[in-house]
Amino acid sequence: MRSPSFIFKTSAALSLSALLLTGCSKSETEQAASTDTNASTNVEEAVYRIGVIAKSNSNPVFQAAKNGAMEAGKRLSNQLNDARIEILWQTPPMEDAQVQAQYVEQLVSSGVDGIAISCTDANLLTGALKAAVDKGVVVVTFDSDAPESGRMAYYGVDDFEAGKEVMRQLATVMGSEGKVAVLTGNPAATNLQARVNGVVEQAKEYEGISAPEVFSFMPETATEAAAKMQQVQTANPDITGWALVGGWPLYTDNALDGIYENAKIVSMDPLPLPLEYAKKGQVQVLVGQPYFGWGEKSVEMIVDKLHFDRSPKSDMVFAKFDIVTSDNASEFAENWKYWLGEE
Amino acid sequence: MKLSKKKSFIGSLFGHQESGLILVIILMTLGLTLYGAAKPVESRQEIILPENAQVILLDADGVAHEPGTIARTKIATYRVESESNSTDYSASKINKFDSTTGTLYARNIINPFLNKSNLVLVTKDASFFAIIAVGMTGVIILAGIDLSVGSIYGLSAIVGAMAVQSFGPDASWMLVVPVALLVCIAVGTLCGFANGAMSVGLGVHPFVITLGMMAALRGLTVVIPQEFYGTQSIGGFPSSFTTGFFKAEFYGVYPVPVIIMILTAIAGWFVLSRTVFGRRIFAIGGNEVAAKYAGIPVGKVKILVYTITGALCGLSACAYLGYYGAAETNAGNAYELQVIAATVIGGASLMGGRGTVIGAVLGAIIIQLINNTLIIFEVDTSYNQIVMGAAIIIAVVIDQTKQRIQARRA
Repeated sequence: MRSPSFIFKTSAALSLSALLLTGCSKSETEQAASTDTNASTNVEEAVYRIGVIAKSNSNPVFQAAKNGAMEAGKRLSNQLNDARIEILWQTPPMEDAQVQAQYVEQLVSSGVDGIAISCTDANLLTGALKAAVDKGVVVVTFDSDAPESGRMAYYGVDDFEAGKEVMRQLATVMGSEGKVAVLTGNPAATNLQARVNGVVEQAKEYEGISAPEVFSFMPETATEAAAKMQQVQTANPDITGWALVGGWPLYTDNALDGIYENAKIVSMDPLPLPLEYAKKGQVQVLVGQPYFGWGEKSVEMIVDKLHFDRSPKSDMVFAKFDIVTSDNASEFAENWKYWLGEE
Repeated sequence: MKLSKKKSFIGSLFGHQESGLILVIILMTLGLTLYGAAKPVESRQEIILPENAQVILLDADGVAHEPGTIARTKIATYRVESESNSTDYSASKINKFDSTTGTLYARNIINPFLNKSNLVLVTKDASFFAIIAVGMTGVIILAGIDLSVGSIYGLSAIVGAMAVQSFGPDASWMLVVPVALLVCIAVGTLCGFANGAMSVGLGVHPFVITLGMMAALRGLTVVIPQEFYGTQSIGGFPSSFTTGFFKAEFYGVYPVPVIIMILTAIAGWFVLSRTVFGRRIFAIGGNEVAAKYAGIPVGKVKILVYTITGALCGLSACAYLGYYGAAETNAGNAYELQVIAATVIGGASLMGGRGTVIGAVLGAIIIQLINNTLIIFEVDTSYNQIVMGAAIIIAVVIDQTKQRIQARRA
């Protein structure tokens, strides 16, 4: 290997050039901060750049959120004649809180006005979001919150209430009696813990239903989930109701063979594949979250704050659940075509 | 004389192994700077207001409006009234007023690429896997591979987080930082040693050993916080460890991970190019059988290289812990791909015998520059992987073409 002097020389030259260029790119802040005695004029058109960061690009629910954000951006740009909204979709290919934090920092550095984010890990993202808020960026979380970050608002369902709703629906189709099993993914995930707690809490309301038994599986894949359900049902044939706090097993075909004949099933997440189970009557009820709304409402709230300086009344903005049964499954499936930009 | 001196400098400029990388970085930097200058963006900077000041929003007719009742584009003047005086700011010079916090922000037109915050961010984001790439360079020069670096990074971070969290919130950095470094590096070293020892001792290709370790260590990374804390992540560290050290602010930027990367790169360069150990690595990668006959302890060298790579994973994990203030079970997921990509873009040959530490670090910076380019060009991140994949293939094809041309000339 040769001496590194060449590299050091080149690096020094590069650094010097960068410093000179940085010096040349003069900021207008100093001018702006000084008082202005000229005639005051309002801004003719405001441009709002909003970064949207979901958990992963490979999950269809976040594609719906992306389209919701894009749609809201276009609609608000048309509605507000004096404002243009630009949506910057910055989402890692798979769930990675560190990459999300890096996207937050880079978006802030590139001067965005707002950030809407679904936090993969609140602990890890709190620092980056706090720094964004300190720099005047309007932050809204959706789907998964970072409550200590100083964000303006959270939009999504209340996970505990979601669990209660699943159990409420299950109790109705079971006639308020029987043995219930709960299927959950990563037992350490706080949103899933809250949903499971909601199911268990609601089950106490029904005398004919014994305390639900909770079964978890890892990793959170469709095949793992389907295998877990099959094993549990085979070992416990007296189970007459399943509360699924996520729709994992329903992302494969024939996951419920040997189960739906013996038990009623209520699940979260009426995505396109789970909807097929509802149409066939193998799943009685699907409880939905506002996938499209995650992006749409978050952008609306951010623009409302930026353009009119209006904040939501509460920092926790809870969405209603969509209840899907075999009766309205086909109609609900049409929503997905729109949410995924297929029409 | 002058001409020959000039020729020798230009010859050095284009003949050096890293010259292509430096040229790419210069071109990208220049392109992004020009693009940023042509399309500057509006940012904001807080205006410090006098105590108990009140901001009044006036429209073009001088009529005052309550916050929340007038659109930003209808405001002509922001009047700041305090006990002693009143100051008017024209709306064209103001970015926004936030009535919730009572903060007034000035407009700040910036070059989205060429500002100190962005430049440090790009190198900081590269630093976490560039540190590991320094070790990976040695592994690849040996004609080996380490697929477990992401999992070692994750496990070191989780175990380190448990150690750091055990300190009280007021613990001094002089206590927390050494303990965190020790724990993270010890975990990484142990895992790296296991990789090297199993690969050499069992005579199994490192691809298989490190593939198994990747899965096993990732499993541990998930199970440990779940069993001990019932969560997916561990946070709540003393501020002396985060903002007091690894995320310490210097002139508005956070350069500590970058400094660690530079120091690691210098140490790595020294070891590979100025020590007997470094020459042995090249010798083994060039021809392992010949190296054995030359009396080089091949097994020992290999184990040591994997151990050092593990230790660097631990060092990088410690910087990650301190910078982000938490560790999560997904930490370092798929990092092996980024690390190997940085090393390969940096000129290392997967056939062994060739590679440089400086090249690997520059490769990591190029990867982050590509990410930054997509953000500045406002390209959907769905295209990130396509661009990254293309960059790796182009880099390798150019490098191989260069090698062939040089071989023909020789």
